[in-house]
Amino acid sequence: MKLHNFTYLLKEGGRNIFSNKLMSFACIGVLVACFLLIGSAVLLSLTVNNVVRYVENQNEVVAFLEDDVTEDDISVISLALKNIDNIGQVTFESKEEAAESHKATMGDRAYELEGLDINIAYPNSFIIQVRELSQLAETVSEIKEIDGIEKVNSQDEVAAILSGLKTAVNYAGTGIVLILVAVSVVIITNTIKMTVFSRRKEINIMKYVGATDGFIRMPFLVEGMLIGLIAATLAFLVLGFSYTYILQWAGLNYGQYIGVVLNSAVNFRDVGPYIFVDFAAIGMFIGVVGSGIFVRRYLKV
Amino acid sequence: MIEFSNVSKKYKNGTEALKNISMKIDKGEFVFIVGSSGAGKSTLIKTLLREEAPTSGTVFVNGFNLNRMKRRHIPKFRRSLGVVFQDFRLIPNMTVYDNVAFALRVTNVVSKEIRMRVPYTLKLLGLSDKAKSMPHQISGGEQQRVALARALVNNPSIIIADEPTGNIDPELSFEIIDLLSAINEQAGTTIVMVTHEHELVNYFSKRVITIEDGMLISDSMGGSKTELFTGHELMEDYSRNLSSKQKAIDFSDTTASGLMQEYDEDFPSGYDFIDQQEMAFGRKL
Repeated sequence: MKLHNFTYLLKEGGRNIFSNKLMSFACIGVLVACFLLIGSAVLLSLTVNNVVRYVENQNEVVAFLEDDVTEDDISVISLALKNIDNIGQVTFESKEEAAESHKATMGDRAYELEGLDINIAYPNSFIIQVRELSQLAETVSEIKEIDGIEKVNSQDEVAAILSGLKTAVNYAGTGIVLILVAVSVVIITNTIKMTVFSRRKEINIMKYVGATDGFIRMPFLVEGMLIGLIAATLAFLVLGFSYTYILQWAGLNYGQYIGVVLNSAVNFRDVGPYIFVDFAAIGMFIGVVGSGIFVRRYLKV
Repeated sequence: MIEFSNVSKKYKNGTEALKNISMKIDKGEFVFIVGSSGAGKSTLIKTLLREEAPTSGTVFVNGFNLNRMKRRHIPKFRRSLGVVFQDFRLIPNMTVYDNVAFALRVTNVVSKEIRMRVPYTLKLLGLSDKAKSMPHQISGGEQQRVALARALVNNPSIIIADEPTGNIDPELSFEIIDLLSAINEQAGTTIVMVTHEHELVNYFSKRVITIEDGMLISDSMGGSKTELFTGHELMEDYSRNLSSKQKAIDFSDTTASGLMQEYDEDFPSGYDFIDQQEMAFGRKL
């Protein structure tokens, strides 16, 4: 394509937006709102995922061993544990170590523990980190089946709540994003439909004087892309500033209560660029598809 | 050159718009196509413009075989034609100049070329002083002249006029046909004009093809200038004005060589203008 054509097409695309100021403005406004909601949903579900992952890391399963296990048995059990899929880190805690750590938690009153027979009072144990909380129950029963394990302690209820929350947020987030993407598609295509309709006579004349379909379609394509891009940029800026501001404000006022959440909240600098690229891609893709569909109707001359 | 051989067109709803039409229009002819409404004139024009493909038979226009033409080749074909419509089809928010330039802008003509051809064409049609007007600021006759300028600006070998006088005052109708006539005689452009106004056809003695019920029922030279003419006074008025108007317009130079004479002094020596033109229009002029 020659340069003078390219500038002509850009100019025309821009002219479309300007000649339908109100419609373009409304379209960009609604799109920004859609993008903001999409962005918020994405940020929220990312943060919830982070929080759940954090808690998962804190969530330990402790498997106590029978008293009569030998050193060899312990290494066999350790191997068996590591063979279970959902298990991450496995740490062995001997009777002596258990006694030490118990003493440490007692602090000033550690003297009360003196005289206890370590061999009787404390069991050998494995401290196990679980990867997926939602599969905790299955994992625990697998651990129980290993020979030499006497008892398994785990916090089933916390796990159930957390993994339920995570699933709910992910489903809701995906649902919201899908619905809003659909709404955005309708909005952009409708705007393009309006501009195509208002310029159908021009399109008709272009066909008669021998303009190619591609040439006729291009300004509308450019218009759709520009609208998508402008809306994406605005939404990105608004989302970035408000998200950062809200986090700061919450940190100052409620930092002591929701420290975990704030620490787990995603950093906008990390995800922002991806969100922007997605917004722009959605906007431009819709622009291209929408203009393609609606211009075609008037090209049949 | 236009050649229809046994052309029939049947629409999907079963209407047979054209029935076995054969006709040949040579380069440089001026032909009226007449017929009452519903006779198939519009379908004939649509076939001529390759808006519709014939159901059977072959159509050749300007060396293009319209039956076998692929969709992507239609634009190139249309650039060799000029079209004028009953309702002018000017773009309301563009000036007269831009309306004419539009035809060149959307067909990849370089802007330097546009800046030369548009003023020249406007001048030919006596529209130079209207260049900056908007279509709604000028009369119907002038609007149709603008449409004619737009059809003429890319130097077509055929101009197809679909009821060009249908929406303008009778006295201005003569003016439009006179312009078409002058273009035909002086530039050798083939003119195909569709009309249902028998007075006009009878006044200008040209070849007349009559279509009725989808069939070609006669092909003959039109009547003399007085025969059956009802608007007698109008005709006299018009004849009185004619001589003065026609002098102002000279169509002998719508070709590239004419342009070259007109603008010769603007170019440095050695500037090969004809080559430029041929490149811009993509064909031999």
